[in-house]
Amino acid sequence: MIYFQVLANGLVLGGLYACIAAGFSLVWGVLNVINILHGTFIVLGSYIALFSYNFLGIHPFISVITAGALLYLIGHLVQSSLINRVIAAPVLMTLTLTFGLDLLLNNLMLVAFKADYRKLVLDNPLGRLELGPIFMPLDRIAAMGLALLLTFLLHRLLRDSRIGRAIIAVRMDREAASLMGVNVSRINAITFGLGAMMAGAAGSLLSIVYPISPLNSGMFLGKAFVICVLGGLGSVPGAIVGGLALGVIESFGAIWFGPEHAVTISFTLLILILIFRPAGLMGKRGFE
Amino acid sequence: MSTSAAKLHAQNLQAAYGDVQVLWDVSLTVNRGEMVCIVGSNGAGKSTFLRCASGLLGITGGQLLVDGEDMAGALPDAFLRRKIAHVPEGRRLFRAMSVRDNLLMGAYLRHDKAQIRQDLEHVYEIFPILAERRDQYGGTLSGGEQQMCAIGRGIMSRPELLMIDELSLGLAPRAVELLIIALQTIRKSGTAILLIEQDVMTALELTERAYVLDRGRVVKAGVSAVMADDPAIRDAYMGQL
Repeated sequence: MIYFQVLANGLVLGGLYACIAAGFSLVWGVLNVINILHGTFIVLGSYIALFSYNFLGIHPFISVITAGALLYLIGHLVQSSLINRVIAAPVLMTLTLTFGLDLLLNNLMLVAFKADYRKLVLDNPLGRLELGPIFMPLDRIAAMGLALLLTFLLHRLLRDSRIGRAIIAVRMDREAASLMGVNVSRINAITFGLGAMMAGAAGSLLSIVYPISPLNSGMFLGKAFVICVLGGLGSVPGAIVGGLALGVIESFGAIWFGPEHAVTISFTLLILILIFRPAGLMGKRGFE
Repeated sequence: MSTSAAKLHAQNLQAAYGDVQVLWDVSLTVNRGEMVCIVGSNGAGKSTFLRCASGLLGITGGQLLVDGEDMAGALPDAFLRRKIAHVPEGRRLFRAMSVRDNLLMGAYLRHDKAQIRQDLEHVYEIFPILAERRDQYGGTLSGGEQQMCAIGRGIMSRPELLMIDELSLGLAPRAVELLIIALQTIRKSGTAILLIEQDVMTALELTERAYVLDRGRVVKAGVSAVMADDPAIRDAYMGQL
């Protein structure tokens, strides 16, 4: 049964997609900023994992922490020094700003790292799982597990912590949040930092699955976008559902129509969802 | 009145939205533990005054003192730290957040976890319906319950002055009665209250002192009970009764 294999591939991919989309969705939902930088942040996370492995022998699963922390700092800085200045402006203004920053950062990476596709090859892979008809490298399963774990942790952070409540309060009513004593600019910076952190962590995990190049940033951004629309904006469970759905759809699409049509399929899906279920599959406007 | 007793004192306060000046030379005092109301027609500047007194809107002239200290340029968190809480017009609950989380947002600047938990129970005592609805989203409450939640959220910051913008607007009479009883309870614990209320009779009955605001200026100030008998006030604001 090839379909089980395809389904398993799709779910593994989808777990990583959820992680890609969660941060993007958070930033979009809370700050109303469509962060074009997100794809480049992911690629930067992959490079951190690649160099850490090649030069320092640090496993990509450990680099999740350093890449996440580093990207958090970059995100925090970008928001507090630049985006906060135009945060009240219409969404097109912040989109243009992040687009410009993305051109800058992405081209810097092209200069520094070249456009060549590089691959992170693990010296000691974990082996593979054979479950009836399904074959799956254990590294990929672990990467998916970690991605889902991180996404779940983000969800808990938003639900159960004081900072999380403040982030959600800012999303719902900035002025009322500031009446509670919330420093909205600071929460903006933390939120953007968390979004970048998720991108960096996802990038680290993706480094063992995808070839690494600055040219990939557009593809990751496109996926994040589709998943947000699929799952509904600003909801972490939505990102998980949307991510898994896109992973499975792409996998089946690849065997039915050919892998070259993966992007065609996801954007066709995007258009269909926008026509028929503009609030997303989860269909809720609230935040979780 | 001595300045030391004043929790909030505005002297010749001016405020504007852009180029449009809204408040002119407003002088107003709320003493510790006192219950004061501001009455006046729509657009008189009542809400604008509260926005200044909670740091949402910067003042363009005059002085705003809290505990005798100048608050020029201070942001809402500074006013909260000085124990002033603002229950805004329209309640402004966080709609897709549970009642409990809404209340906890009121204690956002506090770090005394055990005390916060106690105060949460205290709010549930004042408004038992909120205890029943603690896991429900704020947006699913009735108007009266939302106002209870908003006031509860206000007192979660342990204010010495609670400012309420439009207590009864759009609420059922029964809900208003419950809210008034709650306000008196809160008052008894020593919290000063500054009330904006469109029902002038109720406002004057509830409070000790009153200010009448008209087109951004204080046109009358005095003891509420006296004002309630003032024919000019009756004509201007209770003509419809």
